Amino acid sequence: MVAIEEIEHVSKLMKIDVEDHSEYLEKVQTMISYFDILDSAGVESEEISMPEIPIEQLRNDEYIPFDEKLIEKMNHYKGTYVRAPKM
Amino acid sequence: MNLKISALEFVEEVKSGNITVEEFTAKTIERIDQVDDKLHAFLSVNNDAVDQARSIDKKIKSGESVGACYGMPISIKDNVCIKNSKTTCASKMLENFVAPYDATVISKLKKQDAILIGKVNMDEFAMGLSTEFSAFGPSKNPWNTEYVPGGSSGGSAVSVSAFECVASLGSDTGGSVRNPASFCSTVGYKPTYGLVSRYGLISYANSIEQIGPLTRTVKDTAFILNLIAGIDPNDNTTIDNKNEDYLEGIESGIEGKKIGIITDMIGDGIDPEVLTATKEAISKLEGLGAVCEEVSLDMVKYSVAAYYTITATEAGSNLARYDNLRYGYDFPVEGYEFNSYISKARKNLGPEVTRRMIIGGFVPSAGHTGKYFLKSMKVKSKLTKEINEVFKKFDLLIAPTVPIQPFKIGGKINDPVSLFLIDINTATANLTGKPAISIPFKIVNGLPIGIQLLANSMNDKLLLKAAYALEQTVTLPEVPI
Repeated sequence: MVAIEEIEHVSKLMKIDVEDHSEYLEKVQTMISYFDILDSAGVESEEISMPEIPIEQLRNDEYIPFDEKLIEKMNHYKGTYVRAPKM
Repeated sequence: MNLKISALEFVEEVKSGNITVEEFTAKTIERIDQVDDKLHAFLSVNNDAVDQARSIDKKIKSGESVGACYGMPISIKDNVCIKNSKTTCASKMLENFVAPYDATVISKLKKQDAILIGKVNMDEFAMGLSTEFSAFGPSKNPWNTEYVPGGSSGGSAVSVSAFECVASLGSDTGGSVRNPASFCSTVGYKPTYGLVSRYGLISYANSIEQIGPLTRTVKDTAFILNLIAGIDPNDNTTIDNKNEDYLEGIESGIEGKKIGIITDMIGDGIDPEVLTATKEAISKLEGLGAVCEEVSLDMVKYSVAAYYTITATEAGSNLARYDNLRYGYDFPVEGYEFNSYISKARKNLGPEVTRRMIIGGFVPSAGHTGKYFLKSMKVKSKLTKEINEVFKKFDLLIAPTVPIQPFKIGGKINDPVSLFLIDINTATANLTGKPAISIPFKIVNGLPIGIQLLANSMNDKLLLKAAYALEQTVTLPEVPI
């Protein structure tokens, strides 16, 4: 069961401004409760397989000249810098 | 001018001089103008399409070499980047985003003289399976406009089904190509993971999603796959397919092939009409010389929970880039602290995306990761092992694409688990990386039913052969719009 405090905490972590957390509570709870079916999958001893790609198989880094006009498509910029709010 | 032709027929008609690309393109745009108010497949239409068509006609007349598409109008799901075109992902967050580069699939289609006729509707960031979660309003099913067209590539399926283009590209994360193909009676293909480059596809769940074609015929799917498949240095998950020709030998039949009927996909919750259609499809395949036997994949019942846990986790990470600084809309930065600005700006994400981001933060978080995310990854591994074992015995697998027929718009929007379970038959192919196809099979009560076939990884050619064989056994009515 997910508590409203957990939704508040997660939305803060995910940087989502949610005015009314209770609006999301019921559906998120329903979804998470459904995921509990995983408890009966009996996969505790299963190993997770991960594909591995050796570094030599990766493409070489390549310099691509920066198109300065791209920055003009952004909403908030100054020269070649993006404007961001103060941290 | 007949717009109701397949991609291969289009190429033949243009080559033989029976039609010009300009005429066909102009007529296609006229068709969009006529029907799209009702259907809402398109989010934007290419205003230069007729000019591009004219220049292809010129190339044909002057004997210059012309690409394999010969000016074929193809619609593109709005999460695939086309340089200098809007790519919105059906989200208010990206409403004015203009892509600065072409996705690899787009470069390939442009090289083959395709005309990218427009960008089509989808669930916001591909999160959904009815196209009801588009920030710009739902698409409608051309078979009955009160019903959903499926999703998330709903606009792609609608545009192909309603003759607003010849073919389309969608993306399939848990069934997002096959589900709308089934609901709108088109062919929908999810290639082997890695067969088609994802470079330029706006990421939702990278580890399982693939771009795939939606077409009117299986041969058209093979034709499009020939153009877009293959290794790409910009996507390290791509596989070298040695320039396989998926059309070659497609008519050679399936005599003697062993087909497993996935019993876990025809059990509880399946519509009786869908079950009947599946049994008919099995009987037709047997009539073609295939040997069909029941087989079980125990992990299928956990696949939807694993799929949603993994995709929400990856989405939570992928969507972190939408901070309204690098991508976003006009919202002044003054007066905000950095984090509160980002939080505020993200209010432009729709409710379903917000929900999945919350879940995507919750399931991999400290204290929950073992219960949800790691267990889901283990289910994924075990399901892959199970299906690999099954493919030692069988050449192909069969199941209905979706266990139910299309439902009314708004009918399930408030019931997330009931929506989840619609993915039960499609998520397996994504979690295991296997190729899968939905073939239009039957129309019952005026609404389509699609049948799904799956093959082992890199057996895309065999899968298309079988799909073609099944397709030849049915004649379906024309879409009533």
